[in-house]
Amino acid sequence: MALLSLLSAAKNTLLLTAVSMPLAVALGLLLGWMRLSRHRFLSWPAAAYVEVIRGTPLLVQVYLVYFSLAQLGQQLETTLLTLQPFSTGIICLAGNYAAYEAEIIRAGLEAVDKGQREAALSIGMSERQAFCLIILPQAFRIVVPPLINDLIAMLKDSCLVSVIGVPELLERAKSIGKERGTTAQMMVAAAVLYLMMSLVCYAFGKCLEKRLKVQGAHELHVDQVHGH
Amino acid sequence: MGTDRWQVTGGVEQVSVANSNEAPILEAEGIHKSFGPKEVLNGIGLAVNKTEVLAIIGPNGCGKSTLLRCLNLLEPYQAGRVLLKGQVVSTGRPEHEHFTRAEQAQARMLRQHVGMIFQRFNLFPHLTVLQNVMCGPRYVLKQDEEQARTIAEKMLRKVGLWEKHPCDPATLSGGQQQRAAIARALAMEPDVLLCDEVTSALDPVMTKEVLKVIRELAAEGMTMIVVTHDMDFARDIADRVVFVAGGVIAAQGTPEHIFETQPAPELRKFLEKG
Repeated sequence: MALLSLLSAAKNTLLLTAVSMPLAVALGLLLGWMRLSRHRFLSWPAAAYVEVIRGTPLLVQVYLVYFSLAQLGQQLETTLLTLQPFSTGIICLAGNYAAYEAEIIRAGLEAVDKGQREAALSIGMSERQAFCLIILPQAFRIVVPPLINDLIAMLKDSCLVSVIGVPELLERAKSIGKERGTTAQMMVAAAVLYLMMSLVCYAFGKCLEKRLKVQGAHELHVDQVHGH
Repeated sequence: MGTDRWQVTGGVEQVSVANSNEAPILEAEGIHKSFGPKEVLNGIGLAVNKTEVLAIIGPNGCGKSTLLRCLNLLEPYQAGRVLLKGQVVSTGRPEHEHFTRAEQAQARMLRQHVGMIFQRFNLFPHLTVLQNVMCGPRYVLKQDEEQARTIAEKMLRKVGLWEKHPCDPATLSGGQQQRAAIARALAMEPDVLLCDEVTSALDPVMTKEVLKVIRELAAEGMTMIVVTHDMDFARDIADRVVFVAGGVIAAQGTPEHIFETQPAPELRKFLEKG
């Protein structure tokens, strides 16, 4: 019975990650693109967001969004800022990881050879076409490994939202353990489940990398060109 | 190739060389360009007429590649203007000031008529050779798949690479990659082709195969501006040779004039060193 309960909690952990990570990547793409913009009104807010998020602990962010926002809402006499634990978890995980993904995506976009943009423009493409059709697909291939790495990190970090009572794996393991006095065993079980889920994510990442390599050409390096 | 049409000059001033009644296909006027305090182009002017092949030679860092990039508006410049078929397409702007939306549209229009081939090929590594060549017709000229494929096939056959069309660019040799890049530029059916040291990254054998393609294009009447370090090639292919030094045209004229008849002192020094 305890195991079934843990498994359903693990499902919540997966759900939390599966919703938050795509959001984090989407927001990270926007932030990464903004940071590379030559317009300061775009690059500065993005830089500020990244630094603030990276400079504060995720756990503190969870408390801030869950308690401080709700209190602010009370003072403003609105219930809009009073969030459910699960949505708080998604907002915090997605918002927090977006800062890290932004940096990864920015680095990925910068890693694409400048000549690629110029070649795209030289055949008459617009800046937007060059970005979407030429630069982004190449950057995507570069950022997949670090993004998978962060996916696994998020899976584990999602346990932090147990503090506000999101019924995820750690929260359930703790409460069952407390109830029956089997905390030690429950923690072992939770650790094993986290590990299994991480390994699945890792395998998924490897598959994706492989597919991308087979599908398209390899990176074109200058020294490779000279070596012919 | 009609070299008699050009007024041959050896002077240091920039001169308008075109004598024909038709406006030059592509023209740069008084281009000033500096990177910070370093002045690269010093009011240089250049015009290329239909079917003319222009070779730009000069020492490293003299600004010949920068000039080519200005002609294709890949590089903003501080003063002067670029004209396409007599129409002003772009004018100088202060450094660090970027193109406006309207100017970007103008630049796109110009680039549809002015193809460019790069030293490092710059093929798109995530696309096949065929997809690379189809990019322009497909996404810029908005042709349908079949139309784009037809023109891409034609151009790949022209450069002798059709059998490689399903390949990843990275699996091609440097010479093949450059030929694919030429096909990609040709697929836009440009009026002018700009070649920026297209063989500098290649060994002698591959250089030969790429130069052969360029020679064939010249023979077909393609208008070209070729930046090169290969003097034999310049002599062989060009209707007019332009020697750039210190950001200005230091000498220009027919290959015979430039290489044989009394080259200017700077040019002689450069030719002897090379």
